[in-house]
Amino acid sequence: MALLQVDRLSKIYQQHHAVQDISFSVEEGQCVALLGPNGAGKTTTINMLTGLIQPTSGGIHLYQQGTKVEDRRPYMGYLPQMPSFYSWMSGREFVCYAGQLHGLTRKEAEQRAAEWLQRVGLEEASRRKIGGYSGGMKQRLGFAQALIHRPKLLILDEPVSALDPVGRRDVLNLLRELQQETTILFSTHVLHDAEEICDQIIMMRDGRVAIQGQLDDIRDRYSEPVITVVAGNASNPQVKAWMTEISRKPYVLRSELQRESMTLTVSDLELAEREIWKDAMQHRIFIRRFEAGQSTLEDLFLKVVQS
Amino acid sequence: MRQTILFYRKEMLEMARNYKWIWVPLVFLLLGVMQPIMSYYMPEILQHAGNMPEGTVISMPTPTGGEVLAQTLSQYSVIGVLILVLSMMGMVASERQSGVASLIFAKPVSIVSYILAKWCSAITITAVSFLLGYAAAWYYTVQLIGPIQITHALAAGGVYLLWLCFVVSVTVLVSVGVSSTGGVAFVSLAFIALLSFISSLFAKVFMWSPSQLSGLAAEWLHYGESARPTFAILFTSIGSMALLLAVAMFIMRRKSPIGTHA
Ligand SMILES: Nc1ncnc2c1ncn2[C@@H]1O[C@H](COP(=O)(O)OP(=O)(O)O)[C@@H](O)[C@H]1O
Ligand SMILES: [Mg+2]
Repeated sequence: MALLQVDRLSKIYQQHHAVQDISFSVEEGQCVALLGPNGAGKTTTINMLTGLIQPTSGGIHLYQQGTKVEDRRPYMGYLPQMPSFYSWMSGREFVCYAGQLHGLTRKEAEQRAAEWLQRVGLEEASRRKIGGYSGGMKQRLGFAQALIHRPKLLILDEPVSALDPVGRRDVLNLLRELQQETTILFSTHVLHDAEEICDQIIMMRDGRVAIQGQLDDIRDRYSEPVITVVAGNASNPQVKAWMTEISRKPYVLRSELQRESMTLTVSDLELAEREIWKDAMQHRIFIRRFEAGQSTLEDLFLKVVQS
Repeated sequence: MRQTILFYRKEMLEMARNYKWIWVPLVFLLLGVMQPIMSYYMPEILQHAGNMPEGTVISMPTPTGGEVLAQTLSQYSVIGVLILVLSMMGMVASERQSGVASLIFAKPVSIVSYILAKWCSAITITAVSFLLGYAAAWYYTVQLIGPIQITHALAAGGVYLLWLCFVVSVTVLVSVGVSSTGGVAFVSLAFIALLSFISSLFAKVFMWSPSQLSGLAAEWLHYGESARPTFAILFTSIGSMALLLAVAMFIMRRKSPIGTHA
């Protein structure tokens, strides 16, 4: 059942299309990554989902038990990329305030604030002023304030981008746990983070959706046979000529040449492998490494980003 | 309503934590006490200022109690207004600038409650500070200078407080519309100064303007009466404050809570 439906959403800033005609839907219980390089339109999309900015056109619908809701905000939790708080409040006070803004009574809010602060590992610092928190602590506080009202949909903008490796690991672990409890949509420019916890990705580029779907489907659908060849003795001028010649063969779809290696996307792996070896033998080219396999999502992502 | 109270409590706590609850009332108190004391000692101060030929007798018309209290109000019209605007310029603008507004407005909050709470808290600290300072000025004036008719002092104080509330309302609106805190202070002060200036130039046209409030208060203290259309001025003042708030809410709704760039 669809929880969130985004329908031909666009945002134009003075003739600049930050987001252009994107559509997608998020099912209940899913974890969706909004993936794309800087400037792809991820933050703009998220700001429209949370209602912080108005779309130029298009619709956003959130469904609660099958019926569309008027105001999405009670059902969503949001953590911006660089969350900032009232530095004069303590962590506990802020989370409690957030809970009360969501309609919890003071008592409920206090109780849940304590629970969430413990869960994100901030209980010790919870009585200190937020002004003295580190970046990682603010991030965790941001999680607590976004989750206090048990949202149906948790929206996170680049939740791990600014963190050190340890902080990143902690947040990914927390996200993996939260996946059992709620639906998650988060943006990132790192494919690896998306692959680690998500089942669905939406790849964006220049304000448009380039590819979207289940990770496994995308992997199957877009993976192509790839051969990487590392030729020895790069000083041999023949190597360069030979690589260029190979890259023009009919079974090569796309090629990428470096000084002494090349990566070829081929139409037929077996045929290509046989032909390349034969050709190398004929030209007396020494091959140091030969690798045949499938292209990864990383390759696909780079292709989407760079094309 | 519940949310308005929640926002209001947060504002009050913030003003306590960053010491606004200390320094704003303190400034008003000092200004209030200073005027009667200065007036009382003025002849002696001048006597000791030197440069006077031996035997000079300084005779100054001793001001009445009402005049001294009116002078206090004119102090408030400059330094008091400046302090109020400076202490409130960041009210909305800085929450937007810091980005905390994007956390708050992603929650199911009402813009009406948000603005109303900002306004009420600003009015609270303004009223407390002014009444404290005015009461002190009144006390010292009666002690040192002379009696003041209670009804005149009360009416003048009430009318003047309404002027300060108008100043606060202007600042709230500008704080919603202008993004930088410095800009908020500048625009608010410029607007208030300009309004006062223009309405003193074109007194006929601006007969009902809220800027007449301070003149009204001063005249009551001086003469115990005023030729100005009191009720019309009160009416337009309260009306324009309501209008300023409504426009602030409207702009807040139109303008994204995270500002133009985020
Ligand atoms: N307020 C704005 N005014 C003008 N252009 C904007 C504004 N916000 C974003 N943009 C532009 O929209 C594009 C998408 O930005 P953004 O959504 O922040 O990308 P991402 O989060 O994927 O890095 C960028 O080219 C950016 O310059
Ligand atoms: Mg971004």
